[in-house]
Amino acid sequence: MKRPPDAGDILQGTLDMLILRTLLMGPAHGHAITEVIEHTSENALEVEQGSLYPALHRLEDRGLVSSQWGVSENNRRAKFYTLTSKGRKELSAATGRWHRMTRAIGLILGESHE
Amino acid sequence: MSFRRFTNRTSKDQDLAEEIDSHLAHSQDAHAARGLSSEEARRQAYVRFGNPRSTREHVWRYRSLPWLEDLWRDLRFALRGLSKTPGFTIIAILVIAVGIGVNTAVFSVINAVLLKLLTYPDPQSLVQMRNTGPQGSFPGANIPKFNIWHQQTSVFQQVAAYDFGGAGLNITGGDHPEQVQGIHVSADYFSLFGAPIVAGRTFTSAEDSPHGGHVTVLSYGLWKSRYGADPKVVGTTIQLDGQPYLIVGVIDRRFVTDTPADLWVPFQFDMNSQDMAHYFTVSARLKPGVTLPQVNAQLRLAADEYRRIYGKDSLPANSGFGVASLQEATIGDTRFPLLVLLGAVGFVLLIACANVANLLLARASSRKREFATRAALGAGRSQIIRQLLTESLTLSLVGGALGLILGFAGVRFLLSINPGNIPRIGEDGSAVTLDINILLFTLGISLLTGIFFGLLPAISASQPNLAATLNENGSRSGIGFRSGKLRSALVIGEMALTLVLVIGAALLIRTFLKLQAVDTGFATHNVISMAMSMSGDRFQKTAPVALVVRDGTDRALAVPGVVDVGVSNCLPMAGGFGMSFDVVGRPKGNSPFAGGAGFYSISWRYFNALKIPLLRGRSFTEQDNGAAPNVVIINQAMARQYWPKGDPLKDRIQIGPGAGPAFAEGPRQVVGIVGDTHDGGPNRDPFPMMYIPLAQMPDLETALNSRVAPLWWIIRSQVDPRTLSSSITAALRDASGGLPVAHIRTMDEIEARNTARQRFNMLLLTIFGFAGLLMAAIGVYGVMSYSVQQRTQELGVRMALGAQASSLRNMVIRQGMALTLIGVLIGTGGAFWLTRFLASFLFGVKTLDPIAFIVTPLLLAAVALSSIWIPAKRATRVDPMTALRLE
Amino acid sequence: MSRDEIPPGTLYLLILKTLAVRKKLHGYEIAEFIEQQSEDVLQVEEGSLYPALQRMLMKGWVVAEWGVTAGNRRARYYTLTADGKKQLALELSKFQRIMGAVTKVVQPA
Repeated sequence: MKRPPDAGDILQGTLDMLILRTLLMGPAHGHAITEVIEHTSENALEVEQGSLYPALHRLEDRGLVSSQWGVSENNRRAKFYTLTSKGRKELSAATGRWHRMTRAIGLILGESHE
Repeated sequence: MSFRRFTNRTSKDQDLAEEIDSHLAHSQDAHAARGLSSEEARRQAYVRFGNPRSTREHVWRYRSLPWLEDLWRDLRFALRGLSKTPGFTIIAILVIAVGIGVNTAVFSVINAVLLKLLTYPDPQSLVQMRNTGPQGSFPGANIPKFNIWHQQTSVFQQVAAYDFGGAGLNITGGDHPEQVQGIHVSADYFSLFGAPIVAGRTFTSAEDSPHGGHVTVLSYGLWKSRYGADPKVVGTTIQLDGQPYLIVGVIDRRFVTDTPADLWVPFQFDMNSQDMAHYFTVSARLKPGVTLPQVNAQLRLAADEYRRIYGKDSLPANSGFGVASLQEATIGDTRFPLLVLLGAVGFVLLIACANVANLLLARASSRKREFATRAALGAGRSQIIRQLLTESLTLSLVGGALGLILGFAGVRFLLSINPGNIPRIGEDGSAVTLDINILLFTLGISLLTGIFFGLLPAISASQPNLAATLNENGSRSGIGFRSGKLRSALVIGEMALTLVLVIGAALLIRTFLKLQAVDTGFATHNVISMAMSMSGDRFQKTAPVALVVRDGTDRALAVPGVVDVGVSNCLPMAGGFGMSFDVVGRPKGNSPFAGGAGFYSISWRYFNALKIPLLRGRSFTEQDNGAAPNVVIINQAMARQYWPKGDPLKDRIQIGPGAGPAFAEGPRQVVGIVGDTHDGGPNRDPFPMMYIPLAQMPDLETALNSRVAPLWWIIRSQVDPRTLSSSITAALRDASGGLPVAHIRTMDEIEARNTARQRFNMLLLTIFGFAGLLMAAIGVYGVMSYSVQQRTQELGVRMALGAQASSLRNMVIRQGMALTLIGVLIGTGGAFWLTRFLASFLFGVKTLDPIAFIVTPLLLAAVALSSIWIPAKRATRVDPMTALRLE
Repeated sequence: MSRDEIPPGTLYLLILKTLAVRKKLHGYEIAEFIEQQSEDVLQVEEGSLYPALQRMLMKGWVVAEWGVTAGNRRARYYTLTADGKKQLALELSKFQRIMGAVTKVVQPA
């Protein structure tokens, strides 16, 4: 990917990365993914359900995650998402991009301190 | 990928609804765990989630096809944009429609002739049996060959024989005898071609043997018209030539043969026959898995065996047997001319593309501000290109649809004028039908042209010099240097392509005029010909045939207005028979015969009827009959070729030596030499020809003739012979004891048919040339008037500074003619190279014909000059004050 | 409930910051600055820059006036308003909060 996505896409792409990162720890259903992201960010991030499910479906279509119905910890039917090996590669690429991007933005924001 | 996403989105939506329920339940659990009442936990979960429906809609939208929706939006934009400039839109669509129309027309002919497979089952394994020799390969067979081929069961599944053309048969027994087209076939014919049977059966091999009796198979058409499709007709008899024939079966209408047949009768060959006459065609079906090399190897052995049985003279050592794909054999030499036409018509499309691209460039340059604004509002460059391409594709698809109608109607019209012996197109082109190939072809070239003429203007319009354009006030935002150059280049290209087309058309027009000027060697004006089928037991000997000829001649001559009446076994220019001959007393040299020549058996007034001049010796008289000494008359070409020094009138010739018992006869004294006729068509040199009196034919040969070919009556009159045809047919029916005549055509028609292919080609290329000329004129007019408009201000300043109107006009003309000149130069170069492909179409004209190469560029320059004239005049009328105020 | 949702983008922040540093620029210069400053990692598309500037004008974060470039072309120059400066501070803290949060998820301690 030679050209980074424009700024509007940055955080859009970030949600995908956050989901993939969460699934790195093991398969999880949608609600659990929300809980994990919100918890690890110390409640600084709120995952909007309205973007979570579209994002999950997109990831599945791209073959980055796979899904199957199962039974959750509190005995309810739930759809579990698992990271695929393609998803694992994408996660590391996305993390790299994210670091580059934050560094780049940092360069612009940092100038005022000089 | 995205398409699958689109197709399974309903099931995915169901899945998602369940997943959201599951999520809400988990959320509710979590809230409840924190001590909320179940009611409150449920409420909180829903509040937190927001509207599930909107989530589902979000995913639903994502699962829709974004490109489909974009396409729809672009299409609406395109339609709105195009409707704003109706003049442009209509012209563009018409130009495209003409371009695509002519292509569709030519392609639909090619589709019918070259691309459609034969309608028989498994057509790839059907082959035509051929004779090979130093001159190439040709079809045709005699019984011994058929016999040998029939035995090659290791490579052929079936082998069947059938008539070249088909002999007329007379249905008798009613009030009026009716001549129908009957085809002789061998028993395997129907199974070879997979003919579907609707009633009864086909011939058994017993019925196809010498004493198999009178049996026939009816075609669907005859069955329907004569018997009302009554299945009970099988087993009854039909009267043919006064004999009862048992109807054994009926073939379905799906069975279409190249020579249309009303009914079939078995050949009933005597396989022991030594008859060497070639008078039918043989086709075969290869065994599955058999390759062509295997067939050829097998046929080499067969040829050796043939020589062993029938003598080495029966098949020269350098000749043999071969096969050709039946499809190829049917198409014959039509492929190349049709492909050349397709190439020419492709030029028309290119010119149309260049023209529309030119119009689009002009239009795009006046819309620069629109694009710049859209870019500023967030449209990417690719979006603008996409939108412009949508516009061009809309144009090209609408134009293509119109072109399809235009082209299809056009080709039917052209073919109905005169198809000129193009095989497989059916009666008046009826086999040229709309099918998926043509639809795909037209759709394909519509899309291609849309992209082709749309892409350049789109890219050039979307050049991202956004700020520059927006900052201009708009008055001068117009054609830039780049797009001006592009448009000039397009005009040059149009000119060059047009010139090639028009030079091609000029060459074909010259060819046609030369052909018209050729003297065919016989009278065609006020001459009519009609065929009388002599099938049946009455005409197995020469004397009864001669009687009908004599009586018919007398009675026809008695019809008021009739000047002369001739009879022959074949028609000039309609293909005939050939025979070998030896000159008595002359050594043969290396070849088995002294030579070969066309062979006519004629009545004594034949030369008078066709006004073929007698050059030396005498003509035939009524006394040259079976009782008189054998005589022959030859034409000048034969005299020149075989008697370059000697005098043919002193020689006797033996016709058909070794051709079998049917042709056994004594030598004939050459008694006269007549003028040459262009029997192979006006573009072929006259070939050697010998004529013998009908009344002197050996009986067996007459019997063979009666079976395979009709007798042709040729009648010349003082008035239009068509007005006399009913009296003549009545006279002939009386003379023959009730035989009908058919195929009534004037010799003018037959001659026209011989040059029809050339006329058809000439007509098409002339139409293409004119279409190109018109479009090139529009193109150069458009560019020059646009350039004058762009430079109004400059011209105004020049006027104000005292420039003469005439010098301004000349400046514009100079620029326009410079474009034309470059185009003409390139076009002439192109034509130098391309006209070689026309060589096989030409007659009496060289491919580098100086007249075509000088007159045509002048014509093109004149057309260009006249279309530059209007903008040039406009340049002189620029009012300096108005021009200056424009800023 | 002062938890932040993920904001639509950082383009406003970058434009605001750029104008805060360089005071008065036209659109092309803004894009150029962002690109150069980020060592060409960030590229600003005209298709998003101009709509963003339009919205920022309407929100009163920036004002614009026509001027002439060094190359003698007309161009629209943008300057930050007081509101814009406030918005910059707001965007900055929001951005840092989110980036910090994402970092926590991506690299858990």
